[in-house]
Formats: sequence, C-alpha cells, structure tokens
Amino acid sequence: MKNLLEDTLFKRLFLLMWVALVVSHLAGFLSVQQFLMPPDGMPRAGGMPPMPSLPPMDGPGGMGGGPPDGGPPDDSLFAHWLWLDYLVRGIVIGMAAWIGARWLSAPMRQLADASRTLGQSLGTNRPVPTLDEAQGTLEVRQTSEVFNAMSRRLHEQFGAQALLMAAISHDLRTPLSRLRLRLEHMEANAHTERSINDVREMDQLIASVLEMMQLNHETAAAPQRVDLRALVQSLADDLAEQGQAVTLQNAADADADANVDTEPAVVPGQPAALNRVVANLLSNALRYGGSAEISVQVQAGQAQVLIDDRGPGIPADQLEAVFQPFYRVDTSRSKQTGGTGLGLYIARDLAHRHGGQLTLANREGGGLRAALVLPLKEAPGTGAA
Amino acid sequence: MIHALLVDDDADLRTLMAGYLQQYGMRVTVLPDGASLRRTLPTGQPGATDPFDVLLLDVMLPDANGLDLCRWVRTSYPLPVIMLTAQGDPASRIVGLELGADDYLPKPFEPRELVARINAVLRRAGSVSARTPQSTEQTNAVVRFNGWVFDRLRRQLSSPQQVVLALSSAEFRLLSAFVDHPRRVLSRDRLLDLAHAPGVEITGRSIDLAVSRLRQKLDDPTLIRTVRGEGYSFEADLG
Repeated sequence: MKNLLEDTLFKRLFLLMWVALVVSHLAGFLSVQQFLMPPDGMPRAGGMPPMPSLPPMDGPGGMGGGPPDGGPPDDSLFAHWLWLDYLVRGIVIGMAAWIGARWLSAPMRQLADASRTLGQSLGTNRPVPTLDEAQGTLEVRQTSEVFNAMSRRLHEQFGAQALLMAAISHDLRTPLSRLRLRLEHMEANAHTERSINDVREMDQLIASVLEMMQLNHETAAAPQRVDLRALVQSLADDLAEQGQAVTLQNAADADADANVDTEPAVVPGQPAALNRVVANLLSNALRYGGSAEISVQVQAGQAQVLIDDRGPGIPADQLEAVFQPFYRVDTSRSKQTGGTGLGLYIARDLAHRHGGQLTLANREGGGLRAALVLPLKEAPGTGAA
Repeated sequence: MIHALLVDDDADLRTLMAGYLQQYGMRVTVLPDGASLRRTLPTGQPGATDPFDVLLLDVMLPDANGLDLCRWVRTSYPLPVIMLTAQGDPASRIVGLELGADDYLPKPFEPRELVARINAVLRRAGSVSARTPQSTEQTNAVVRFNGWVFDRLRRQLSSPQQVVLALSSAEFRLLSAFVDHPRRVLSRDRLLDLAHAPGVEITGRSIDLAVSRLRQKLDDPTLIRTVRGEGYSFEADLG
C-alpha cells in the first residue's frame, strides 16, 4: 500500500497532465458559457450547448448534425466561441505546463548546480555540496542519495591524494638533504656538479608541486579584496630593482601628485595566488623575451592584466597545449630555458579558481601576449576606493 | 669557534651536517629529539663551560612539534634559532618567524646557505648587546595606523576598506623604517641606511620614488610629510 502512495515522478506527471487537461476544458467551457452565450440560449431541451470542440449533442430535438435551436446562430458568433474556448484552454494549459516544467525540472537544476559546485570544491578545503535526501519524488531522492555518496567519496579521494603528495615530498626532503651533503664531501668533478644540478632539479619539482597544492588550499579560504594595479606595480618595481626590463604602462607618473583618473581594479581573491599568477607570466616573458610590458585595464565589470613580450612567441598549434603540466615548447627540455613546466598550468588553474581566464596569443610583429581576465565583484555597501 | 646545537631526527643527516659544518671550523653538538633538547639546553647557557651559540632546529621531530620547541627556547634562552623547515611549507615558515625564530631554511638546502645563515644570524645577534630572551610577542609583526593594517610578516598592506595592497620590496623596507620611527623627521641618508637591503643599490632618487609610490597607495597626503631640506616624517599614531 505504501508503494501506491509514494511520491514518484510518474505520478506527478500523470496527475499534472490529467488535471491540466480537465481544468482547461472546464475553464474553456465555463468562459464561453459566461461571456458569449446569449442568456436565453441556456435552457435547451435536455442538452448542453454545443462546444465547438465537442461533437454536437443529440437532444430530444434530434439535432443530429445541424445546429440546435438557440445554438450558434451564425458563423461569426460560432467563431468567437471557438477562439475564446481555445484561448482560455491555451492559457490554462500554458500555465500548467509552465508550473509543471519548473516544478519537475527544479531537481534537475539543483543537480546541475551541485555538480558544478562539486567540481570547484574538489581538491580544496571547501565543503562538498549535498542534496536534500528527504525532499522530492522517489527518483529525485534516489538521485540525491547517489550524488551525496559520490560527492563524499570523491572528496575523500582528493583529500587522500593531497595528503599523499604532501607526505611524499616531506619524506623526500631528508634523503635529498643527505644526498646534497654527501656530494659536498666528494671531490668536485663534472659528475658531482651534474649530480648537484639534479638534486636542485628534483628540489624544484617538489617545490612547484607543493606550492600548487598550497595555493589550491589557500584559494579555498574566504577571498580578500586585492588591488590589481598595486600588485602589478609592486612586482614590476621589484623586477626593475633587480635590473630586469619591465615597463608598466598607464602607470601614474611617479612625480605627479594627482591621481590618474583610472577605475580601481579591485578583485576578490587571494593575494598570494594572484601574485603567483602575475609573477609566473612576468618571469616567462622575461625568460623568453628578455623584456616585458604590463598593463591593467578595467572594462565591462572585468579587470584585464596584459603582459606583452617580444620573444619568439609560441607556435599557434601549441597555444593551448602549453597549459598542460610539464609541457615544454622545446622538446629538448633544456635547462637553459628553465622552469619546471608547471608555471602556466598553475597560473591558469589559479585564474580559474578566481573565476577568471588566462589566454595566450601571438602578437603582430612577434612576441607573445598573455591576457589574464578577472571579474570585479564589488561587495554591496562598500564604495570604490 | 662557533658552537652549534643541531636537533634532527635523521642520524645520517646529523652526521653529514656536523661533518660539513666542522669543515668551516664550527663545533657541533647533535641531538635526536625534543626531549634531549630540553635536557641539554640548560647546560649550554652563556657562562657555562661550553655554551651554545646557535640552535639548528628541525621542524618535524618524532616527539615534539618543532614550532612549540622554538617558542619554548625563545622564551627561556637567549639563543638564536634557525628552523629547518619542509620544502614548500610556508605556513611553518611564517609561524616559525612569528614564534621568534631568527631565520629558517627549507630542506633540502644548499650547504653553503646554511653556513651563511648561521653567520648572518650570529652577526645580528651580536649587534644586540646583552641579548635577552624574547617574549612570545614578536616585535611589531602587525602594525596598525589610521585604519591601515601593515602585516610585516606577510608583507601586506590592507586599507581601511579592507583592500589588500601589495608592496614592492623597496616600499616594504621604507614603510618598515617609517613605522619603526613614527613622527620623527628622517633624512634621506637615514632612510637609505634604514631601508638598506643586501645586494640592492638604492639612491636618494629611489627613496623619493618609493615615497611617492607609498603616498599614492596610502591615498592620504598627510601621512608622509615632506620636510623641505630635511627629509620625510611619518605622521601617524601606531595602534
């Protein structure tokens, strides 16, 4: 008996359609009757006034196929009946369909939202989304249970993965330290030199991977409001201090007192992570191009950071592939061109975590342009700086 | 001869590090864990027959949290501490510095770097005469003024509207100098001294530039006052 009373999608749909059709017919009939039937047209010998959609009724008058007495006297009134009937029914069915579609598709929308949130929260410290297992039809509840179980499993897996990586790197640091010190005790020769470089390379790899995990962890924390112009200018100044050729465009003239009339570029995010993205891009530009130009623009609710260089650029067919972890444009993986191959991967991942995008394009006249786009979200109630 | 106290749980690493430092004319006492550190440290105080000059402390010990030990050491003994941290673990680095470590070095490190840090730490310690145990409060890690928050460890400046403004190294050094000497006129030469960084050439012009950048960021022209012919003054009350 309980099964019969269970709230299922089937029953809801069935009920909805049935009720919608019946109510629409009734509404159509009633409205034609109320608004269009002449008052004396009502009492008919034993029969109901003919509905344009129903077959003509047989009354005692033996109406048969012909119009009954007091029935639609002429074509235009008959047409009005038809239109009103269809109009009313159309409206009622339309409303029922709209309500029904929202009602029945709401669980699907919730599932889609939860799945999207799940994707974003995996690998970070954010709590995983859960669906209400007590609400909705039988099918929806079952889906919620399955989704929640999957969500928990994935969360555990990612957590375990992260712990594993942290443990591995922690455990690697001691043998690497020993190795490094032993190399110092040996007489220096070509082999020890190369071995020392190998140790450094391993160290760099571990550092890159760990840093990525650390930044992922941090982006899960509550976002702060970060001034992008200040960030870009600080990085540029630091590099300039080290003798690197970095120029900041649209920079306020250092000696002018007046504020340059530019819109503030304040984005929600983590200062360390955003710093890492811009620093990675700048370091690439300097490494491959020797110089870099950087600018910050604000338009249409977004802040755009552009980093241009006059290096060799990247072959057009590899512009997307370079974002893969450990991908190198020059397959020789030569150490002179340096880096671990994770820079762009990390940068794009961080950009995504901030709701933004990172793209690369070749410039006219040679060189590469890296475009970092981040959404501005002004918190309500706070004025622009 | 520098007497270093090394605490690390890996036996081979203890031997290797001791051997390396001995090449540089240091004497090294090695300990395996926190318990032995607590026993041994009191015996090596200044005035004892064989006092320790510096402590090299690994952050992960089997029987104790390296950070807790660091805090304990700093509150009880006037001994410079260098923490040996894990690669890629900024949290323990920041906490370590907050707890009073003098420096940190992530493993695996360049061996020469270790020697350099030991020497640097001892130089700094030597310049503070009659070194006293520090209280757990690190000197002005976070400074507040006029609604601004200056986090010296994270090198971050937060506006009264809670917007985080990054600081370049030059701006950071300058602002640090200012908050260390509020409401005092600092000449360019003095600022050059205070804002000095190893390996960086700074000139009077770069000081002016950094002041201008800071003024822009702080968005309040009265905070850094130009005293014609004399220098600059940081007009804020620290709180």
